[in-house]
Amino acid sequence: MPAEALAVPFTVGGCSQRERDSRGEAGRTQDPRQRGHMAGQSQGRIDDTVLVREAQRGNRAAFEELVRHYDQAVLRLAIHLTGSEHEAQDIYQEAFLKAYKSVANFRFECSFYTWIYRIVTNLCLDHLRRKQVRKEDAPVATDASGEQYDVLEQVPDGRAGANPERDLMSRELGGRISRALDRLTPRERMVFELKHYHGLKLRTVGEVLNTTEETAKNTLFRATQKLRGALADMR
Amino acid sequence: MKCDWVKENVLLYVYNELPDDARYELEQHLARCTDCAAELKTTRKFHAVLSELQVEEPSPNLVASSRMRLQEALETTSQGGFWQRLVFDPVMWLRQMRFSPALSAAIFIIGFASGMGATYKIVSNGGAGAISVSQFSAPAESSVAGIQSISQEPGSNQISIKYDTVSTQQAQGSLNDQRIQQLLLYAARNNYNSGVRMDSVDLLTQQPNGMHVREALIYALRYDSNPGVRLKALGGLGAYVKSDPRVRDAVLEGLMNDSNPGVRTEALHLLEPVRADGSVRATLQKLAESDQNQYIKTQARNMLAQMPEFD
Repeated sequence: MPAEALAVPFTVGGCSQRERDSRGEAGRTQDPRQRGHMAGQSQGRIDDTVLVREAQRGNRAAFEELVRHYDQAVLRLAIHLTGSEHEAQDIYQEAFLKAYKSVANFRFECSFYTWIYRIVTNLCLDHLRRKQVRKEDAPVATDASGEQYDVLEQVPDGRAGANPERDLMSRELGGRISRALDRLTPRERMVFELKHYHGLKLRTVGEVLNTTEETAKNTLFRATQKLRGALADMR
Repeated sequence: MKCDWVKENVLLYVYNELPDDARYELEQHLARCTDCAAELKTTRKFHAVLSELQVEEPSPNLVASSRMRLQEALETTSQGGFWQRLVFDPVMWLRQMRFSPALSAAIFIIGFASGMGATYKIVSNGGAGAISVSQFSAPAESSVAGIQSISQEPGSNQISIKYDTVSTQQAQGSLNDQRIQQLLLYAARNNYNSGVRMDSVDLLTQQPNGMHVREALIYALRYDSNPGVRLKALGGLGAYVKSDPRVRDAVLEGLMNDSNPGVRTEALHLLEPVRADGSVRATLQKLAESDQNQYIKTQARNMLAQMPEFD
């Protein structure tokens, strides 16, 4: 399934025209449901600004409304990156608490969407970095194709939060892609994740990660090259 | 079109990130280049393979429990308040300054305007020329850029001085007025126009009683580059050669070192009443013995000859 079809438009607004233009491929799709989403976005954007101002005045209900605008997208990103609902929930909690504490400092220099994504991606990057450090000490095995993989990753996640759909997915294919993705640097992983799996425009990826579109583009090239190398036999 | 360029950009094409013109060019090339068309096919296939790892929607239960957990935490969390904002804001302000040229420009303009306003206030407090001199407080020398002219009305003791501040102003008053005296002192020391210095020294010689005036005249005698000004200053100091040792020393210095013979001659004449003074006598002896100016040498000898002999 192409990434465009997977890209779910964020139903929230408060961003600039430039950001709206660059938000994602979803805007280009001809899916009537998505067009409906887009049509509803302008109202959402206005609401966002009002809600942010209210939240800045200390209105907790307004902040909770903002959370409802964004939290599904945040969870989706965190689950895909961490592979665990439990960890995703921790990131969700930390991100929105951080946003609540510092919403008074939000200056509308970017959209609230970009701002909250910046917080979330930073937390996710920290998580990926910690995971990478842990991985260095993890037991490693070699599969049939001579590729190394983390033994612990092969153990099914039996916790209540684990998604059973993940177990049902073709273990070999999904597992190999996951391992290939895990071998990217945290930043490469994040750029690829936001671009490929969440359909953000590279310009938006750059804004979220506090870098330029060009750097995001180069990082995407690097990530794709590495993935191609790792999954050469699957092409 | 180069195949290399296409291979570099085919990924962006698949991701819908190419601008329209590049997209068009690439499509044109793909239509006639089988290698690049194959590259596109491979990239698309790989793209599709990676998409096999699906992005899962969070379950409604997970969303609900996450919201509840957050709500509980929000109840015990306080927002960053006013003081916290002040603590964190300096960094934010700096960032805003960096990213906001308009704000930086506005702050600069306000600062500049305040500076100009303060200067204007100082100058206007210092006295606009046409206002009665009695209103002037001590002049701020820093606000006086230069003295334009000095004139005395014939038959009166009224003096007009034009001086530059931010714009040229005029002050009027009698020589006794403090403001006028201070402007004259300023002009005597600082003016680049020797004519103005001459006028100011000339006027100051009419009121040489004040210590500041006398100091200004001594300064003019020692350091003014114009012999006319030095001569005027000498004239003003003449009356104090007897009573003020500093004046005597300055006149002696002028007599010894001045480059202008007229100034030296005048100094010599001024010292006549105090020729018995030890330092004057020593100077006269020196001049009488070896001065290059014949007139000075003769005059010094004459003065020494008129002096009573001491044992």
